[in-house]
This record gives sequence, structure tokens and C-alpha cells, in this order.
Amino acid sequence: MSTADGAVIGTTQIAGSAPRNRAFNVVLLAEGFTAAQQNDFNNSCTTFVNAFRTTPPFDDLSAAINIFRVNVRSTDAGADDPAAAGGTGAMVKTYFDASFGGNNIRRLLLCNTTTALQVAAAQVPEFTVVLVVVNSTIYGGSGGSVGTYSLADGATEIAIHEMGHTAFGLADEYPYYAGGNETGHDHHPAGEPSEPNVTTNSNRNTLKWRWTVASTTAIPTMANPDCSQVDGRPSPVPVGTVGLFEGAHYYHCGAYRPEYDCKMRALSVPFCRICRQVIWNRIGPLATLPARARTPISVIARFPEHLDVFAVTNDGRTVSNWWDQSSGWAGWFNLMGGIASPGGPGSPVTAVHRYAGHIDLFTVGTDNRVWSAWWNAANGWHSWFQIGDLVCRPGSIVNVVSRYSDHLDLFTTASDGRTMSTWWDVRTGWAAWFHVQGGIAAAGAPVTAVARYPFHLDLFTVGTDNRVWSCWWDERSGWHGWFPIGNLGCRPDSTITVVSRFPDQLDLFTTASDGRIMSTWWNARGGWGNWFQIAGGLASSGSPITAIARYSGHLDLFVIGTDNRVYSTWWHEGQNWAGWFNVSGGVGMPGGQVAAISRVADHIDLFTVGSDGLIYSTWWDGATGWAGWFALGVT
Amino acid sequence: MPSNENNQASTTRAARLIFEYEGAQVRLVSQQLVDMVVTGFDIARAHQAGVYVDARDADGMTLTRVPARDAFATSTEIFPERAGDAIVRVDPAKVKGAFTVVIPVPQAANRVAVVRVAPAQPETQLPAGGATSRVVGAPEATDLATFPLKLN
Repeated sequence: MSTADGAVIGTTQIAGSAPRNRAFNVVLLAEGFTAAQQNDFNNSCTTFVNAFRTTPPFDDLSAAINIFRVNVRSTDAGADDPAAAGGTGAMVKTYFDASFGGNNIRRLLLCNTTTALQVAAAQVPEFTVVLVVVNSTIYGGSGGSVGTYSLADGATEIAIHEMGHTAFGLADEYPYYAGGNETGHDHHPAGEPSEPNVTTNSNRNTLKWRWTVASTTAIPTMANPDCSQVDGRPSPVPVGTVGLFEGAHYYHCGAYRPEYDCKMRALSVPFCRICRQVIWNRIGPLATLPARARTPISVIARFPEHLDVFAVTNDGRTVSNWWDQSSGWAGWFNLMGGIASPGGPGSPVTAVHRYAGHIDLFTVGTDNRVWSAWWNAANGWHSWFQIGDLVCRPGSIVNVVSRYSDHLDLFTTASDGRTMSTWWDVRTGWAAWFHVQGGIAAAGAPVTAVARYPFHLDLFTVGTDNRVWSCWWDERSGWHGWFPIGNLGCRPDSTITVVSRFPDQLDLFTTASDGRIMSTWWNARGGWGNWFQIAGGLASSGSPITAIARYSGHLDLFVIGTDNRVYSTWWHEGQNWAGWFNVSGGVGMPGGQVAAISRVADHIDLFTVGSDGLIYSTWWDGATGWAGWFALGVT
Repeated sequence: MPSNENNQASTTRAARLIFEYEGAQVRLVSQQLVDMVVTGFDIARAHQAGVYVDARDADGMTLTRVPARDAFATSTEIFPERAGDAIVRVDPAKVKGAFTVVIPVPQAANRVAVVRVAPAQPETQLPAGGATSRVVGAPEATDLATFPLKLN
């Protein structure tokens, strides 16, 4: 009846080949198998592997999943089966002390969870989930930190359901506590459950899985007409429809689930779309990320010891990764199911932090509308919502400026090239989109903006004549008309990069029609300078120039060169531009972008899509110089 | 990036902790360093209601926090033998069990705490137009137990 009743024989990896320290590792422990019955355990593990790896979404995530079996022999076969709970009365000597009849219910199969966790930790220290396989054909199982299941038909479903709780933090979606005839479970208590797959919120506009709900789907999709009992009617919508179905989280009414059915509601049915997304976000980050080749990467530093990076995968998923000095890189996760517009280089996810505990995101969706999402430290991510009904160019960039913490200004291009803007203010909410001073941008040209002061905005774009144009807004005098800056001929899709090293100075960077990397400047004393080529630099076609000012007398530039290598140069007050140099041997994508950020003055972090399609990063530190590039995943 | 195709950043130091509990009492039964990444999924950034484990420095400052999803479970599931029948929950006679977490442990960490976070103000009470508003009503955290870290 303890570990004295057997011994651990050994461990075998039976599925997967992912690095153990970057994998979702499932450990199966043998319980109640004698030394002579170990082959039965091996066969039962194979049955589990087949069931698990064909269950969506695990079938698509198998590259990051390993499964191990730990052979353990017990003195006796089976598990205790107390007569008081309707069992045979068998009492056997087994390693994990498994017993049917917990709470006098025969199907409740429990074991010594401390022993199970300790054996798993000793055998596979990197384990994620532990399941105890009990050598009995009596149906039974249980959940918790260690799942148990028997060899009865269908018991592997118990293991997969329990994994939903243990590994993914999913709630039960069934609408009762004790089968439906219980009292006290008519109405869910007030308050929003923290789990991602149940809600008490029936507002379409704030629903936590609203990104998956079609506008044609009724909300609620199914309401229980009699809260004294479980709603047993069939679904009014086709299988797979995401909406709001009343009855969840142990209550008949007042709590909702995303689909009519889900494995978190009943065994032997698939996980619903929301649960599949949560599982993807738990396992997916263990893999590195194939990204859209030319879609810009955004990065923000809410404080010096933290980075948030936003990118788009090669299938359009909007994703994020973050780094913290204490915990390293967190791994890529999908941002609320968002899919970005694929036109041109692809719409990026642009990000801004109005203050340290808050992030606002913007992108253009596959419907070419502008979408936003936000995160705050108290409540986490809130899903995408549409900003107005502006129709953008496919692949448009939404640029955002936060002039002060309660205000946002957005800029993008409409489908007909009009330069458009809107704003959000904490007092008034979102304004309607408006056309900025009649401006029309060249095909593919983004609108860039900078706030030199909280009461001043400068805009830049490439006009239909392929010249650089600017306009400005001042709180006292409003918008002023567009004017050309010199007569440089640009590529029509050139980005005008602008840096304000101090409030009365602007430095502009872009690419000429022949790829030359060009710059000009403005300052309050001398006005606009002439365009000049920076150190003979040439950019890969379509590659924007990235510029950062680590301090007011210094600029660092980054670009993909004509040989697709990552290049940099710098300017220091009183000196000429340095020559371009290849950063740590890095090679990017033709026309790709290099994202750069300086968390502290003597440190730069870079991000780009490498020639193999993965996102890479490196850093420069004043004390140690440039580090090598590494594939950005999880650390 | 052919020049460094197989580069991976080194993993952050992490520890596996195993706790045992009975009622409100909890004890740390095992702690070991483990070469294992901890993804953002398991590193708590938004402090929603639940039980968490914190790694803290000598001043008591929380360095990292991970959820302990199965800690102090007050009910357990009973599964039906026939497909389509109801899953039900029962309350065990004793709240007793074990749970494990893997938590990043920066060099400055010298203790761990088991923490219960009470719910924050419900989302539905955010100010109107609050898609980008600050949240009032911070969640409250209570230490259930603290243990020294003894990792080699």
C-alpha cells in the first residue's frame, strides 16, 4: 500500500522528438502492473498516444509534444476496490496506492499524488503533465494535479479532459454540479470567471471571445428558459458555431460557454474553438515562429527590464512574445485569434504603451478594417474590436502616437490612398475617421507621425508624385496643409522614418527610387536641410530604414542591404556618419525590416525575419558589443 | 539567418517545486533546479483570482509568479461510464493533495511563497468607453505560506 509495494523500473520516450527543455512533456506512470504485466502497460500507453495525438489541436502541435512512459512494478495487480462503494472488496499492494471508491463513489479512482509527482520529477524532470494508468478494466478516473484513469474503454478521454484543467487552465463547461438535479445551482454568482472558456458577460462588444463570433450569430445564442433545470434542447445553430450558450461552470443560468459542445463539457466530443486556441497558446510558444517575410515587427519597452514584441506569422496570425529580465523570453502566443491583412508586405501589429501597465495594439484585419486590442496589468488581454468602418488598403500600416497618457492619434491610408486619422481620448472615446488635409499617399506608402510636443504632430508620407510630403497639427492652430520636402524621388512604397532627438529637431530617413538611403533634417533655427545619401548606403528594395536616438546627440540606423544582410551605421554629434557594417553576420529577407529599440542608453535590441523565415534577435551593449543572432522563441 | 541557424538563447534558471496540502496547511516537499523553459502562458502578468507561487528576493519583492492551477481543490470530478452521460462533481471529505509548479528563479530569488489572489473588480464595472481606460480596484494577494529556496 505504498512505495514499498513495488519499484520504478525505468523510463522510455514513446512519442515526440522535441528538445525536452522546450517541449510539452506528458508522463504516463504505471500503477498496479506486476513485473510480468509491464507489456500490458506499454500497450495501454500506445493506446493513449494514438488517442491523444489525433485529438485536435494536439494533432497539429505534435512537433512540440513528447510522451514518456515510466514502467513501475507493483507487488499486486489492479487497485483497491472497496466493497462500501459497490466494489469487489479487493485490497491490493501497489506502488501509488490507487483506489476506486473515493467519496464512496466507485468510479472515483484516486492515488497518492505526492508520490506520483515525485516519481515523475525524478524520471522526467521537465514533465508538464502526469497521468497514472491504473491496471484495471473497471471504469474510473479523476483529475487534479495528477490525472488517473483505468484501462476501461474510453477512459483516455478522462485524461485529456483533465489535462484541460491541469495544463491549460480551462474551466468545466457543463451546466450542473451533480448531474442537473442539484439545488443551489440555478444562477451563477456575480463576477467574471478568470478561465478563458466561460463567462458571465453577455455583451457582444465586451465578450472575451468576441473575435470568434460572427456578426450574424445571435447573442446569446441559446438562453435557458427555465433556470431551475439544465437546458436540454438541441443546438439552434450548426456544429462549430461560436456564440454564447447559457449553462456553464456548474450553473444552469447566468454563465455561458462558447460552443454548444466541447470536451470540457462532455467526454468524447472535440474541444471547442476557444479551448483549442488556449491549448495552441500553451504549446505553440515552445516552437520558433515562421513569420511573414516583410511584415514589420513592433517592439516596445514598458520599462527598461521588459520588452514586448509583436509580429505576424506566415499564415497571418497576430502574435506576441515578451522578455523580462527575471524570466527571459516567454514564447510566441496568438493575440486573441487575430489575422492580419496580407496585402503588400502585410499589415503589422503596431503597439504603444501609454503607461507602463497598459498596451494598445492596432492592425488591419483581413476585412481591411482597423482593429484594436489592449492589455492591462490588472485584467490581461482584451480582444480585438473594430475602430470605425474605414476600409484600408490591403496590408496598410496603422501608425499610432500617444501624445499623453490618456490620448491616442492613429494614422493610416484608405483603400483609395487618402491619408486618414482618428483619435481616442479618455474623456470622449473614439472619434470618427477623417481625411487629413486632402492628402493622398502613393500606392503602399504608409503615413508616419511624431509628436515633438504633447500639443504638436508632424506627419510624413510619399505622395502620388513619389515625393516626400509633410503636414502638421498644433493644438492652437489645428491642421496645416501638406507641403513637399525637397524634390527627392522615392520608391512609391517608401517609409518615411522620423526621429525627434529633441523637441525642435526632426531627422528623416527614407530610400530613393534607386535604393539610396537618404536623410534630411529640420530644426527650429534653420528649417529644412537638403536630402543627402548616408555613407553610400543602398537598401534592399522595399526595406525601410529604422532609426533610433539613444540620446539627443546620437543616431543608430538599421536596414536590410542589397545583399540581404542586416546593416547598421551611426552618427554622433560633431562627427560624420560611420560606414555601414554587417551586424553579427545577420542575413534577413529581401525588403525586410529591422526593428530596433533602446531600453537603456547603452543597449540596443534588434529583431528581424531571417533568411529561413524565423524571427531572430540580437543585442548590442556598450560594454560587450554585438551579440550573435538567436531564433526568438522561449527561454 | 544562415550564419546562426541553430542558435537558441540559453534557458532561464527554473525550479520545480512540489507542495503538499491538507486543509489550509501547505508544505514544500521537494525543490529542484530544472532545465526547462517557462512560457508566457505560465508566467502570470495579469493577476487574476487564483492561487500562485511567487519567487521572491531577500527584500520580499516578487520576481516571478506562476499559477498553481490545482492547488487546494475543493471538489473533484466523477466521469460517466457511458458517453453522453453527465460529468458530476463531488466535494471530498478532506481538502488534501499535492501540486507542482515550475517557476523561473532569478539569482536574486531566495524564497518562494504560496499566494492566494482575490478577484479584482469585475470587467463589467470598467468605466464607459473603457477599452483603453485604467482599471480601478486592484486584486488583493494574501500569502498562505513562505519557504526558503535551497537550490544548488
